[in-house]
Amino acid sequence: MATEAPAPRRPRPTETAGKQSRPPLPPAAARRARRRAGAPWLLLAPALLAVAGLLLWPLTRVLWMSVQDYGLPEIVSGDTNYVGLDNYTEILGDAYLWQTVLPNTLGFAFACVALTVVLGTLVALLLQRLGPLWRTITGSAIMMAWAMPAVTGTYVWIWLFDPLSGAVVGGLDSLGVVDAGDTNWFTSRLGFYAIATLNVVHHSFPFVAITVFAGLLTIPKELHEAAIVDGANAWQRFWSITVPTIKPIFMVVIILSTIWDFKVFVQLYLMPGGSGANRDVLNLGVWSYVESFAQRQYGMGSAIAVLLTLLLLGVTVVYIRTLFKESEEL
Amino acid sequence: MTTPSALTPANPTADAEDSPSGDRSRRRPAKPVPRSPLGRVGNAVAVTVLMVFTVLPVYWMVTTAFDPRANSRGSSPLPSGFTLDHFRFVFDEGGFGPFLLNSLLIAIGTVLLAGLLALLAAVAVARFVFRFRTAVLVMVLIIQMVPLEALVIPLFVQMRNLEMLNSLLGLTIVYLAFSLPFAIWMLRGFVAAVPKEVEEAAYLDGCGWPRMFRSVLLPLVAPGLIATSVFSFIVAWNEFIFAFTFLQDESKFTAAVGLHRFFGQHTNDWGPVMAGSTLITLPVLVFFVLAQRKLSNGLAAGAVKG
Repeated sequence: MATEAPAPRRPRPTETAGKQSRPPLPPAAARRARRRAGAPWLLLAPALLAVAGLLLWPLTRVLWMSVQDYGLPEIVSGDTNYVGLDNYTEILGDAYLWQTVLPNTLGFAFACVALTVVLGTLVALLLQRLGPLWRTITGSAIMMAWAMPAVTGTYVWIWLFDPLSGAVVGGLDSLGVVDAGDTNWFTSRLGFYAIATLNVVHHSFPFVAITVFAGLLTIPKELHEAAIVDGANAWQRFWSITVPTIKPIFMVVIILSTIWDFKVFVQLYLMPGGSGANRDVLNLGVWSYVESFAQRQYGMGSAIAVLLTLLLLGVTVVYIRTLFKESEEL
Repeated sequence: MTTPSALTPANPTADAEDSPSGDRSRRRPAKPVPRSPLGRVGNAVAVTVLMVFTVLPVYWMVTTAFDPRANSRGSSPLPSGFTLDHFRFVFDEGGFGPFLLNSLLIAIGTVLLAGLLALLAAVAVARFVFRFRTAVLVMVLIIQMVPLEALVIPLFVQMRNLEMLNSLLGLTIVYLAFSLPFAIWMLRGFVAAVPKEVEEAAYLDGCGWPRMFRSVLLPLVAPGLIATSVFSFIVAWNEFIFAFTFLQDESKFTAAVGLHRFFGQHTNDWGPVMAGSTLITLPVLVFFVLAQRKLSNGLAAGAVKG
């Protein structure tokens, strides 16, 4: 790290100063800035080491394991068992991927993103219409939905939809719509994912609402006033003023939601049948985990995980481009 | 990540919704226009529906946890009475005390380590111009997208070889790595918001860099550090996959893993399951709300504006 003040000066004219066009520093600070050329890497070193050791290195390992037939014996012995792309050809040639897992992953992510963004935007617009008191109350309430841990939130939704004594089945039973005990939504693929979608949307719409609300505050009110004078109704104003003005914010929340909803794990794994007992309801992430830790096919699980990572990498590239477009300088 | 990965990276103050911080007041946000009676009724209906939807799970969880006849509650909105039996049961039979303590230890360790490392890294990327700076930032962004499902397999093997599978320290280190990228990204914004002039004034007064860091920069980015700590705490407290995969020894279980095991043994015993859920949820809720106010206050006091 940087040394104390009285250290001898070593002028390094090529560093720092020329790179950015910012107003010249006072001489003393400029000298210090030059002297600190190595400091950023010292400051970054601990964080970079942690990230490299625990995120980057495992990523290369998962790639390596995905081209092995890696089971319990290999884990114990540490031997390699290279099989080339066999794992990948087996997965990609498996009808289970195309008929069950991929539709589950894509359909679920799409439904969650669409509902999250629509609900979040509606809540943001509502927040804008409220006075300060109700805005604070509503804001605090949606914070609670946000703060609810995924694990406990999932158990609460399971309890609400419990086929024997849950609140939903109880309510519908007393209305005479269904018979308690005869209805189990968790066993059907659609019912399972409908409950999971409700759970995920409930947990993730606050992020969209708060972010879009912050964006709404940046729209100059003169724009809306001018549109009102021109006779535009609320619907027209939303589509021709709000959406274009804060489009970058919508892009960011849509892409971030997409990334998060592709890799939903806990909310599916903890549901009845979600941990592998019901093969109809697995998504890519849960399939990878079940293949690895229930079937002990770590190589196969790794290959599935690599496919999921590649899928997310595609979305991420779009995300980063959007961010760069939004702000010239990171 | 499965956590409420709080706040948008592009805008670290996004959640300070009501704080009268500089940007907002300068841009004169649209004030709520006076409404017609019809509009007001519409607002009231919308708020009611939203509140019911939002608060329902938390309400149902807490009321079930105190309901003496939880299993036969059905859809009655009010619990049938008040009892602490379910909580007694999860502590005595479920062994939740040690689980909660383990979770707390891991979360505190993660918060301290992540706060320190992220602050150093954030100062580097926000205050210095150096080669590969953009590359580092892009890497920090990309790394957040990696699915945990892809990391759990190699890290399980790695930790197994290091014989750290049943170790709270091992889990703390893993959570540190998960919370770092986002923490760096968020703190970067807070550090960048401290005007350079404040730092330069400290230099002119004869401070060295360490002294300036401690007495000028650190107090000014404190709200950012609090926000980052909340985030890291929630990551560590809520995480399930890794704790579930790594911890096999019951004495090392975190609360989330303990709840999963408990649910496996007492399925359909909803009173105790909801009592356990309440115990896990409440600290996060309290922490979130407290930090929320503190964060807004810090911004409102103008500390960040300098």
